[in-house]
Amino acid sequence: MVTDLKETLQSNKKKILSLWVDRTLNSYIASGFFKSSGDRFANPVGVNIREGLTRLFDLMLAGADPKEMLAPLDQVIRIRAVQEFSPSQAVAPILELKWVIRQVLGSGRNKRPPAEELDNFDCDVDRLALLAFDLYTECRELLYKNRVHEIKSGRYILTDSACASALAGNKKTGCAGVETS
Amino acid sequence: MAVVKVDKLARSVVEGPSLMTGSIPTRDWMDIPVVFKPGNYAYPTKPNILEYLDSLEGVSFPNAREWNPEDDDWKLPENWKEIIINGLAERLGKFRSLKIFMDCCVRCGACADKCHFFLGTGDPKNMPVLRAELLRSVYRQEFTKAGKILGRMAGAREMTVGVLKEWFMYAYQCTECRRCSVFCPYGIDTAEITMMLRELLHLVGCGINWALEPVANSNRTGNHMGLTPQAFKGNIDFLCEDIENLTGIHIEPSFNRKGAEVLFITPSADVFAEPGLFTCMGYLLLFEAIGLDYTWSTYASEGGNFGLFTSNEMMKKLNGKMYAEAKRLGVKWILGGECGHMWRVVHQYMDTMNGPADFLEVPKSPITGTVFENARSTKMVHISEFTADLIYHNKIKLDKSRNSHVKATFHDSCNPARAMGLLEEPRYILDHVVDNWVEMPANTIREQTFCCGSGTALNTDEIMELRMRSGLPRANAVRYVADKHAVNTLACVCAIDRATLTTLMQYWNPDVEVCGVSELVGNALVIEGEKRADLTEGLRTMVF
Repeated sequence: MVTDLKETLQSNKKKILSLWVDRTLNSYIASGFFKSSGDRFANPVGVNIREGLTRLFDLMLAGADPKEMLAPLDQVIRIRAVQEFSPSQAVAPILELKWVIRQVLGSGRNKRPPAEELDNFDCDVDRLALLAFDLYTECRELLYKNRVHEIKSGRYILTDSACASALAGNKKTGCAGVETS
Repeated sequence: MAVVKVDKLARSVVEGPSLMTGSIPTRDWMDIPVVFKPGNYAYPTKPNILEYLDSLEGVSFPNAREWNPEDDDWKLPENWKEIIINGLAERLGKFRSLKIFMDCCVRCGACADKCHFFLGTGDPKNMPVLRAELLRSVYRQEFTKAGKILGRMAGAREMTVGVLKEWFMYAYQCTECRRCSVFCPYGIDTAEITMMLRELLHLVGCGINWALEPVANSNRTGNHMGLTPQAFKGNIDFLCEDIENLTGIHIEPSFNRKGAEVLFITPSADVFAEPGLFTCMGYLLLFEAIGLDYTWSTYASEGGNFGLFTSNEMMKKLNGKMYAEAKRLGVKWILGGECGHMWRVVHQYMDTMNGPADFLEVPKSPITGTVFENARSTKMVHISEFTADLIYHNKIKLDKSRNSHVKATFHDSCNPARAMGLLEEPRYILDHVVDNWVEMPANTIREQTFCCGSGTALNTDEIMELRMRSGLPRANAVRYVADKHAVNTLACVCAIDRATLTTLMQYWNPDVEVCGVSELVGNALVIEGEKRADLTEGLRTMVF
């Protein structure tokens, strides 16, 4: 029996999201709290990732424009871009959706949707993963810009200003802030 | 990333966490070693800084050397273990609080999910209870019978190089903000445990440069950045020129003036770096408006005290400098600017370290006559207390419309909020200087405020990622009010906050600017004789 993929995904939404969010939050060593607390202020990582992935899934089902997906994608990637993940690990949850869907649709009484439809959906996921990569890179670039900005906004003024000890070349005074080396 | 085969992936769902997303299989925390890599540690102290500090009287910073946290060999002194255990014994004898904190935790878990480092990283060793356990496990092994006999079964473990490395990692992933302490039923001050860890690490020459270079500079020239008296005065004169261009008000502040009624001390960042500069302009305008008889000091030119993040002896030495200068100048009392940890030192430690400051008078506002009873012993009044009192007595004229470009929210800085209870005064001021401002959610403000993520000398750029993730809980609450109420300004009363929240906002909420409460006061002040330009961005307006 041929089934419509989006209808199937919609009817399995709860299971898919549950597994997707679970696997994503499993990437944190102590993930229990991230999974259990629903307070968005007490648990920013868990709630933002759950909310971001949920919105992404809804938008994909609705066939939304990629531009609309930027905000929820940002909710997930901006966090992972500053955590201790490699770049691939940071964006991996997006690609994992393909595996998650197959896992859920392959279980129970679900009919496997036509391969062509699944291939198309996979392409959507791939496009989303590429967007995630763009966002990840933007976040990292912003980090480095901010590092430069911080250095320029204060410290350099002092390294250029007159410190008596540095002028006298007296390193013993410990005025390392004015070292020119 | 290694290519992960589907069968492995499938197995991972059943057997453990995801292989693709980088999770680490669960093991006992004692068995997970720390791994230092660029971005997760602050640079060690430069040997010349440590040598200089060790040469000072009353403090000890031995074992200066070049070393790298990423290396296996940290070049520790041969008897490092003996030094650490003896150091711990000495501190257990000296600080009753430490002994209690080591013994009384029942591991109820109330603190576990309250730390911004844990909330941003998901690393269990950032749960305050576990961070403390890093020290407690060694304490049990060395100082309790149960630990000596039962070892690991009693939660005890040998002091090893691996443990020392763990201490260095996690003592510098704590900003001593004390949010966890608010939730601890026993009142364990985990910040003080971090302080002890840092002190013990200093005994074997393991500290971070971003803490100790400012300490060295502060001791030598009076402020963190090593500004000479000339540069310090020059910067303030420059700000006065800016004020005159903007408002037509001519200000000639005095420096090191003996016999002034009040000595004003603020973090040096207010004098040299944006956005603190605008807060400093606010102070200058306020004092001019009320005709305060005050002086700056180019020696006590730093409110901040990185000694607090280093050792109790260093904290005492740097704090003593402010009072020595007050005595030398013969002022009646000290007015303090918008600083965070300066106030923790003054309120919680100064009195027993260097106080009581009997040579000063109980602070009394010369404008309103209010006696600041709360500062009877320390003789130091917070600028927000002073300003709120002026407003309450109608002694300054304020025009809120001058802040019409501002839609503010208020960040309670950890130390003023939790260490001195300064909760209402900044809010009272905001009520009178801006048309509208909104609170962030209840579990992120007042005593429960979230740290900026970069306090205790962690505001250095090499750990930018770490700072961004530990600052996430604060940024997340700001984002909420920015989205819901179009907030564009995050006001606070701490210099480290002004610097670090600016960077934090640039990453998480780029449309939100950071300012001091006194900047907003300066914007709103109506001063007789002013010739004010149309300042659409207040004191930040560029006027040519």
